[in-house]
Amino acid sequence: MDETRELVKQDNKNIEKTRELRSAIPAVDIYENDDEILLYADMPGVIKEDISVNIDNGTLSLSGIRKFENKGVSKWEEFWDVEYARSFSVPQTIDIEKVEADLKDGVLRLHLPKSEAAKPRMIKINAA
Amino acid sequence: MFTRMSDLDRMFGAMDLLRNRMDRIFGDFDYFYDCGPGLAVNGSLPRTNLYEDGDHFEVRAEVPGITKDNLNVKIQGNYLEISGTRAADSPDGFKVHRTERGSNTFSRSFTLPDDVDAEKAEAALKDGILYLMLPKTEAARPKQITIK
Repeated sequence: MDETRELVKQDNKNIEKTRELRSAIPAVDIYENDDEILLYADMPGVIKEDISVNIDNGTLSLSGIRKFENKGVSKWEEFWDVEYARSFSVPQTIDIEKVEADLKDGVLRLHLPKSEAAKPRMIKINAA
Repeated sequence: MFTRMSDLDRMFGAMDLLRNRMDRIFGDFDYFYDCGPGLAVNGSLPRTNLYEDGDHFEVRAEVPGITKDNLNVKIQGNYLEISGTRAADSPDGFKVHRTERGSNTFSRSFTLPDDVDAEKAEAALKDGILYLMLPKTEAARPKQITIK
């Protein structure tokens, strides 16, 4: 009996915590051509002010927080407040100064232009 | 041999503990499963939430990258249908490294707990989330009863 009580007690020792923000991985598309790399990420419900894009030492990290105003009793829920986060390795040849981002309809679109030096160049062959 | 009640009690206590642990494992599993991409691969459906607030329902759906021209909402009585198309937005002349978002056509229908007034229903699209405000019909609204 004593042991049972101990087990029950241990369960009660779990401290109550506030609901932490769940993390989610946004779905992305990545495209590349000679001039730039494009990255599209689905982040529905995130507003512009709550998104951060960081490029540091060859790592691009995206993060965005989505917060809904909840009212009423929830009958069913399949999505909720989340923190989107995902990191990518990007080549050092990206021109960080010229990176552009825009957000429309819950899709974040990043343009990562390659620096001039990294663009492919046509080498002219000189006839001897 | 279980000769005393306390032994039995102890056994069930241990089983409860095991069950709690198992529940927690599957809870964690769901957690990651649920947070995956919603509207991504072909054939997947947008995730939705339904809230009820006295005289109306609110439906929210995740529809990233879909413009309002590509979304259709139909209401009849307590039947709600959300359908739409996500057009491919892949740029021309680019090499594809990764496509997780995909393009697809979906249709999802619901039976709401009560009839709604389709005339007064409102829909808004903001940041890739579709918000539907669906007022209940007069008959379905809650009535305040005065106590005599």
